[in-house]
Amino acid sequence: MLAIATRGLVKHYGSVEALRGLDLEVESGSVTGFLGPNGAGKTTTIRLVLDLIRPTSGVVEVFGRSPRGAADLRRRIGYLPGEPALPDVTAGEYLGYLGRLRGRVDPGPLAARFGLDLSRSMATLSRGNKQKVALVQAFMHEPELYVLDEPTSGLDPLLQQEFRALVRERVADGATVFLSSHVLAEVETLTTRVAIVRAGVVVDVDDVDTLRRRAGQEVEITFAAPVPADVLAVPGVTDVEVTGTTARLLLHGEADPLLRAVTPWHVVHLRAQDRELEDLFMEFYR
Amino acid sequence: MTAYLLGTRRRAMLWWTVAIAAVAAMYTAFYPVIGGMQIEGMLESFPDAVLVALGWDAFTSGAGYVNATVFSLVGAVLTLTCGIGAGARLIAGEEERGLLELELAAPVSRGAVYWHRIATLWVFLLGPAGGVLLVVGVLDPVLSLEIPVGHLVAATVALWLFAGAIGTVTYAIGAITGRRAHALAAGSGLAVASYLLAYLGPLAELDWMTNLSPYWWYVGDRPLLNGADWVGMAALVVLGALAATAGIAGFVRRDTNV
Repeated sequence: MLAIATRGLVKHYGSVEALRGLDLEVESGSVTGFLGPNGAGKTTTIRLVLDLIRPTSGVVEVFGRSPRGAADLRRRIGYLPGEPALPDVTAGEYLGYLGRLRGRVDPGPLAARFGLDLSRSMATLSRGNKQKVALVQAFMHEPELYVLDEPTSGLDPLLQQEFRALVRERVADGATVFLSSHVLAEVETLTTRVAIVRAGVVVDVDDVDTLRRRAGQEVEITFAAPVPADVLAVPGVTDVEVTGTTARLLLHGEADPLLRAVTPWHVVHLRAQDRELEDLFMEFYR
Repeated sequence: MTAYLLGTRRRAMLWWTVAIAAVAAMYTAFYPVIGGMQIEGMLESFPDAVLVALGWDAFTSGAGYVNATVFSLVGAVLTLTCGIGAGARLIAGEEERGLLELELAAPVSRGAVYWHRIATLWVFLLGPAGGVLLVVGVLDPVLSLEIPVGHLVAATVALWLFAGAIGTVTYAIGAITGRRAHALAAGSGLAVASYLLAYLGPLAELDWMTNLSPYWWYVGDRPLLNGADWVGMAALVVLGALAATAGIAGFVRRDTNV
């Protein structure tokens, strides 16, 4: 069962092409990261899922149905906007209202967990506290699908930890999480699968481990004396840079061919380091 | 939903009611000074058509005076301002500030969001209209205005319908476009146009002009003097209903928050 599916999703705002044929599948029960730079179309996709906006063409489905006009479908979704705007009423009034729109949902327990004072006017709340209000409203009705747009921006590290714990609890209960971010670390700690979006299309979908493997290793080899450049021309090695006796390169896949190639030479020092996923994404973003 | 929407606007509603009641009270209280026989000599110097257009030809009675000042002028302008302001804010204004997002993401239909806000607008306007009713009703015996209660109620209902209808046009344009400025322009444009039509129509002796004016539908027949103008009130209701229908048709179709 797919919680979210889009096929050839296109969205234009006037002459701006926000989405240009986005294909995306979010398995029910999965935690999927939606990663891309600002302006790649993440928020546009999320707004299409919530029926806040309508596609120019293509298909968007939530639990197998079109979200268009389907208010009851949104009962199953918890939505955390990227930049929540809140009215000048108390947090309790607002959350109580949003709770009533979803049936009789009590925001109290979750507000207490996040240390949110419900009696304070939201006009006076700090950015972090506003983010708490948004978090509580997204999670309070225990939906099946969480759509989280840049969830931890504005939260201090302690609250980020609490937020992650909450997400893990809900996932353990079988919920689906779809989490957008432009920060890799945020996605990496929570998700197992990542869809990378760039300029309105999904350019890659993989599990985090595979992505990390594909990112390869940065290798630095220091020789006793300069070696011919073609020594390092072996499968899996790219981006070779030689300065004097030191060679820097990227290694994808197995290390064996490279090791065999350098064995005849006098290797003084060898350093290999997993690349950060961030570097990989930089390649996608280019 | 309406209860919450009204609850968050209770302070604004109270202030509007108090402000409009105070202005209505001030104008009405001047009746013994300006109104009555003293003013008749001064008014004779004006052309009849102008007097009719301004509603000043009946200045000499309590009902005529209150009709010309409170109902045709300050009360109408203030209640209308209140209706146009609320109409523009309820969808377009909130949407521009991003405040509709979480509501629309909740399991409620666009239609529910829309109709509960229209209800809020109309209930909100009961405040100012009720303020006028209360003030004039209380001052009537004190100042011997001799306005029949039935006429006062009819005029107040017409005031409510007038501000409600134009407020609904404002609201509907806001719902269709999502732009508060467009809504305000449409609402105040319609208000000014309907005043001009009602003012110029009699001067130019062109009935179609007056007949097209929502302002004329409201006060042209002087409900305070002549009792309820059922046709005029019905026309206001129809205007509001048409605008509301157009508004929902646009609102359910379009993108929000973009």
